[in-house]
Amino acid sequence: MAKLLKVESPESVVEKLISLEKRVIAPVRDGRLHRFLPVTRMEDADFGYFQAEGSMKGYFLPATEGILKFSCTTNEQKLEEPDLEFPETFIVGCRPCDAAALSIQDKLFEWDYVDEFYKARRDSTTIVGLACTYADNNCFCTSMGLAPDSPDGSDILIVKTEEGFLAEISTKKGEKLASLLELKEKGSAEDRRRAGVNAGKLITREFRSEGIPGWLKSNFEHELWDSMCTKCIGCAACTFTCPTCHCFDIVDEPVGTSGERRKNWDACTLRTFTIHASGYNPRSVQYKRYRQRIEHKFNYYVDRFGRFLCTGCGRCIRVCPVSLDMAEVLEEISSRV
Amino acid sequence: MIEELRKIARDLLTSKKVGVVIGYAFVKANSNRTTPIFVTETEDIERLVFNPLCLNNLTVYLTKKKPEIQELGRPAIVAKGCDVRSILGLIKEFQLKREDVVIIGVGCEGVVRDFKDWSGKLTKESMPTKCLYCKVHVNELEAKPIEERRRFWKDQFEKCIRCYACRQVCPFCYCDRCISDKTMPRWIESSAHGRGNFAWNLIRAMHLAGRCISCEECNRVCPVEIPLNLLNREIEKEIQEKFEYVAGMDTETPPPLRIYSEKDDDAWIR
Amino acid sequence: MSVYSPTLLKVKEVLPETHDIATLIMGFQDGAFAEEFSFKPGQFGLFGAFGEGECALAIASSPSSKGQITCSIKKVGKVTSSLTSANAGDIIGFRGPYGNWFPLEKMKGKKLFFIAGGIGFSAIRSSLLSVLEKKDNYKKVVLLYGARSVGELVYKRELADYEKNSKVDLIKTVDPGGDEKDWDGKVGFVPSVLEEMKPKPEGSVAIVCGPPVMIKITIATLVKHGFKREDVYTTLENRMKCGLGKCGRCNIGKAYVCKDGPVFTAAQIAEFPPDY
Repeated sequence: MAKLLKVESPESVVEKLISLEKRVIAPVRDGRLHRFLPVTRMEDADFGYFQAEGSMKGYFLPATEGILKFSCTTNEQKLEEPDLEFPETFIVGCRPCDAAALSIQDKLFEWDYVDEFYKARRDSTTIVGLACTYADNNCFCTSMGLAPDSPDGSDILIVKTEEGFLAEISTKKGEKLASLLELKEKGSAEDRRRAGVNAGKLITREFRSEGIPGWLKSNFEHELWDSMCTKCIGCAACTFTCPTCHCFDIVDEPVGTSGERRKNWDACTLRTFTIHASGYNPRSVQYKRYRQRIEHKFNYYVDRFGRFLCTGCGRCIRVCPVSLDMAEVLEEISSRV
Repeated sequence: MIEELRKIARDLLTSKKVGVVIGYAFVKANSNRTTPIFVTETEDIERLVFNPLCLNNLTVYLTKKKPEIQELGRPAIVAKGCDVRSILGLIKEFQLKREDVVIIGVGCEGVVRDFKDWSGKLTKESMPTKCLYCKVHVNELEAKPIEERRRFWKDQFEKCIRCYACRQVCPFCYCDRCISDKTMPRWIESSAHGRGNFAWNLIRAMHLAGRCISCEECNRVCPVEIPLNLLNREIEKEIQEKFEYVAGMDTETPPPLRIYSEKDDDAWIR
Repeated sequence: MSVYSPTLLKVKEVLPETHDIATLIMGFQDGAFAEEFSFKPGQFGLFGAFGEGECALAIASSPSSKGQITCSIKKVGKVTSSLTSANAGDIIGFRGPYGNWFPLEKMKGKKLFFIAGGIGFSAIRSSLLSVLEKKDNYKKVVLLYGARSVGELVYKRELADYEKNSKVDLIKTVDPGGDEKDWDGKVGFVPSVLEEMKPKPEGSVAIVCGPPVMIKITIATLVKHGFKREDVYTTLENRMKCGLGKCGRCNIGKAYVCKDGPVFTAAQIAEFPPDY
């Protein structure tokens, strides 16, 4: 059950953690963007931001990651795995859509085989979320079962209220951090409730989503795919900025007879994602690739893990070079349910 | 002007002179953003617009990257001045025949640099560099010592996530199998580390030498805001100085890197 | 050891099958791993050429042969080029066994039709060998195997042994034009030869593997002759990287070929969307 304690501000959390010599990652202004980067001074963190360019994904599933070093000849064989010890890390100030994405992704990376790289990073990291006070009309988190003040995925969620800031503690990690930060004063449930009401008013873009998986099951072939998705030019901007997209590639980078095996981000929207060595490609036309994206996120993942592989953060819409609005596609599907 | 544009599009479609009109429309959920549309039915003509939010270089849909568009029939395409230069370039590279496309040229007085820079009206500050007199930024960087320039690009490319938005949006990146996708041999490492990114971005810029017309779409679409086109402009400058050539001005002048001329500077051969 | 870490295999023997297919017989370098290792027929592994990459290949040996495994590779791309040019003594990485398997126990007492085309034979060989090791459990084995030409047949040296086996009816065929002077088998596409055989579905199960077109027509032929789709099995392939159901690329609709497959019944395939 969530516990509510008063906290001074997100900046104070950063300041205290830095003074305890902990590794802190916070939003940092970089030109016109905000990016989540390690900070060593409280002043470098800028919490007056809407959304960061990248999600937290990169700290658990890096864009490129070495998984094995090898040196193999007939006479000498050596395999070296990276040491899976990661420093204790605190991510402070991430939006609820980004935090929830982690608990959604956890389901896959711990399904059957456990991805040790992902898990070691997750285990060593505490997430301090920051509830939103602003949304634009590309945000659709409420249609994905979340909210601008959802605690899903955050160990502690900091919420700005009429009385100041509250820390909503949801997990053991959150409790541990709360005592580290010496938070003692109880917060008011009514204060939190009112902040929730305000958060609920932020999202202007909403559609009914519960019928979408069912429609997708029966409409793999439908003229909607061609008419709405053909303009996709097949880059990976949406996939790589998405906090829940996690498909990856495994490649070898040799240097002579030794080298490194790496795990890299990959995207189903790219043409070569499913290409066979023979040259045959089961998804040879772009709309088929975009269809896979939608089916995976809103049908297959729901089937297997019970959640949408999407938190409605809206990055895909903002970043698309040709303004293909994924929420528009979902709204269209929703209207046909 | 919009009425005239729509009338031309309607006439072309109904007379069956074209099978599709490639143009711009407002995004349904957001009247501060446009998106490409492919009009094949006359009832969709009313969606066509032209205004300073029409950023995309639609020429990418004429290339062989989008065969499903080519199948819609002979295209008419709404093109700004900078976009027309890429059409001319494609004709010069035998990707397109002049008679196979109807160019609906629109008088453009500038577009906004990116949708998020739109404040309701076009201002000098919100225009991309291509719309202003363009040499300024290139000269600034060129004036710095080479180590500083190398550090600048090294830092920029650390940010690159290899999403290939720059490549996919570029009308001249239409190779059936891009060099970065080739595995036999693996010319460029696919990993998004500094080394692979540096190789990728530099090689792409070199492959565009003498072809890029600086539509700056690559700048606009980069999710991590790397000023990619700056690299292309530097190369453009070199091409202009060495070969007195500017890309995309006509379809006859042979591109310098395709043709050997006795006048070519060979002082670098020692 | 992470789930992405391979164990090392040493190539014991390389058997060229055709101009572009080689069979590798490999032993485990790690004795403890070899002791623990077991697999079921139909499962696959990710075989890696260090420096080139990994490739998903069916384990072609019988599960009862301890300490070593066999796979057959066709040269089509970067990794397979490296694997097919391996020499005895070379080191290959292995991760597995992955995927599901042919439920041979459910087929006891039945007549089994093994129908293979080209290199597809390697994906069902482990099942065939398993069945022949316990041949009294099964009523009869019909092996229908074909390839484009005599030169393209794999496991040629074994075909004579299967012919001699009293439990096995071997029918071999090559495509029209693919026969040679000394060819004593049939001439015709595998599905056409199957049609001529008029296979009876009663008490029968079919295991099919080959090029996608051949699988499709063979299944249609079997169904036409009254086979229930639940009694027709095949094994599919798709581009793979992790083999663990994480990298997201091998799915056909909601089924991951590496987790829900690679073995599927024709009934399951009939439900698949056109995504492969």
